[in-house]
Amino acid sequence: MNEQNFQSHEIRDRIVIQYKYTMGGQSKFFLELMNNKKILGTKCKKCGKVWMPPRINCSECFADTDWVEMPHTGIIKVSTIVWYTTSAFIQSVPYGIAFIQLDKADTGMLQGIFSENLVPSKVKKGQRVKAVFKKKEDREGKMTDFFFVPEDEYDSWIAKPQYEGGS
Amino acid sequence: MSKRRVAIIGVGITPFRARYLDKTYFELAYDATNLALDDTNKNGAQITHKDLESTVYGIYNELFERQFMPDIFINSYLGMNNKPGTRIASGGATGGYTVRMAYSEVASGLSDLCLCIGVEKCNDCYDEKTGTTTPEVLNAIAYSADMTYEYPMGMMAASSYVSMVNAHYEEFGNPTEEQMAYVSIKNHGNAKLNPKAQSPMDVTVEDVMYSRIICYPFKMLDCCLYSEASAALILASEQKVKELGIEKPIWITGVAAANTDCFIGNRESVGRLYSNIYAAKAAYKMAGLDYNKIKEQIDVAELHDAFSGQEVISYEELGFVPFGEGGPWIEKSFEKPGEGPWIDGELPCCPSGGLIGCGHAVGATGIMSTGEAALQLRQEAGKHQVKTIEKGRAIAHSIGGPGAAYAAVIVIANEEGLNKP
Ligand SMILES: [Zn+2]
Repeated sequence: MNEQNFQSHEIRDRIVIQYKYTMGGQSKFFLELMNNKKILGTKCKKCGKVWMPPRINCSECFADTDWVEMPHTGIIKVSTIVWYTTSAFIQSVPYGIAFIQLDKADTGMLQGIFSENLVPSKVKKGQRVKAVFKKKEDREGKMTDFFFVPEDEYDSWIAKPQYEGGS
Repeated sequence: MSKRRVAIIGVGITPFRARYLDKTYFELAYDATNLALDDTNKNGAQITHKDLESTVYGIYNELFERQFMPDIFINSYLGMNNKPGTRIASGGATGGYTVRMAYSEVASGLSDLCLCIGVEKCNDCYDEKTGTTTPEVLNAIAYSADMTYEYPMGMMAASSYVSMVNAHYEEFGNPTEEQMAYVSIKNHGNAKLNPKAQSPMDVTVEDVMYSRIICYPFKMLDCCLYSEASAALILASEQKVKELGIEKPIWITGVAAANTDCFIGNRESVGRLYSNIYAAKAAYKMAGLDYNKIKEQIDVAELHDAFSGQEVISYEELGFVPFGEGGPWIEKSFEKPGEGPWIDGELPCCPSGGLIGCGHAVGATGIMSTGEAALQLRQEAGKHQVKTIEKGRAIAHSIGGPGAAYAAVIVIANEEGLNKP
């Protein structure tokens, strides 16, 4: 159909679904994070691989894993700084994100990387980082309860009123 | 049971546009199907939608379409009631995976004529706060990231892909920002020859370098635009090709896909798209081609250049050049006819303009790429036809998903290409 002087009609709409979503077998990771500022990984009972983020089964061996407490330190494997993003995060730009391999972990996890001087050279591969936590009243048992900072900025970040260091 | 031979006998691609105010997704799908039927019939065949026995639908994102089972609504709109229709959704690679499943439909003997169609209409998403579409389109895509560990960090498509490009740079010293800019020059430039492309443009290295930063080091002109379009292929068995008297069937000789780890941090090296490597090797093997000599065995490649740097990495992973030599390959061949991935180069990559030039209508994209490669082998691509089709073979490449976890590679050949070494 080829209409002369076509006029379109647009409607406003939105899709919203509410959840009470279980973290299932990973629940302990989020509870320990929220309540005790612990970062838990899992270790395969069979091959010994340390998974971070944790999973209760080893995908390589099809074996169960054990919970292990991880150090709060690690290194950046790769990072980027985001300047334009989704409607849910656009008010937060610029922000840094990095794949961080915790000491003793065999895999890297995605986390926010904060810095007083957020430039590519400050969040480069190999940069040593340390976890900083939100205050207890602000922690919700979500990944956003903590983030990483370059090791040399750790003291200044945990001195801020809204944050604290791990145990 | 051995596989039956499968040919592409019809190609239909709508223009890629920022927005179709005058079409819904099912109306766009109708247009592409109609174009594919016309293309099939142009040498005297007389098939209609009633002759199509099944459909495979490539539709990535329910949130774009505001409809969680869009395929059934297309199925009815196309008059395909009471026949099988199956939807594929594999992120940015949806198109390639859809071609693979449609191939299987015919190769297995389930159908003799199968409609392979992709459609996407993203820009009905709208962010009321900024009064623009893109942030809400990106939000609709971001739910494809792992929702527990990665979405809450503000992960999105560009930041996921840039992670691999940055890690590749750390390992090999390339692609540099300038080398990535050359991909933008090439694909925006090729798009000027393609009337269906959304982003035809003359750009310079400086234009790319000074365009708006998206996520370091990707700038606006390194990234494809999300687009609205539909693309359709009609696939036929060998018997149908003969029955219909199809003059230039394009045979699908290799189809392969690989899903690599969806968590980038679990991969052995962060700077690799392992899905590309596995899919390419398997597709070439099926087609009887050699991963180490592939550049000499094909005439043209339609690659998945959602981001400039990731096209560069694909040169290596698809076997065109050794690891670490992708960046120099495009940079050193600039304005040197007969060299590199340029449209007049040794292996033209994305003569259609690719995603950077055409736009990315996600579910339609890989089907458009396969269709474009088929038109090249028929020497009917139009102004962006590459000069030499001598091996008679081409590839189309699709990637997508969190950290490009999905990849599909399709190898096609014209009649001559079936038998050449
Ligand atoms: Zn194991």
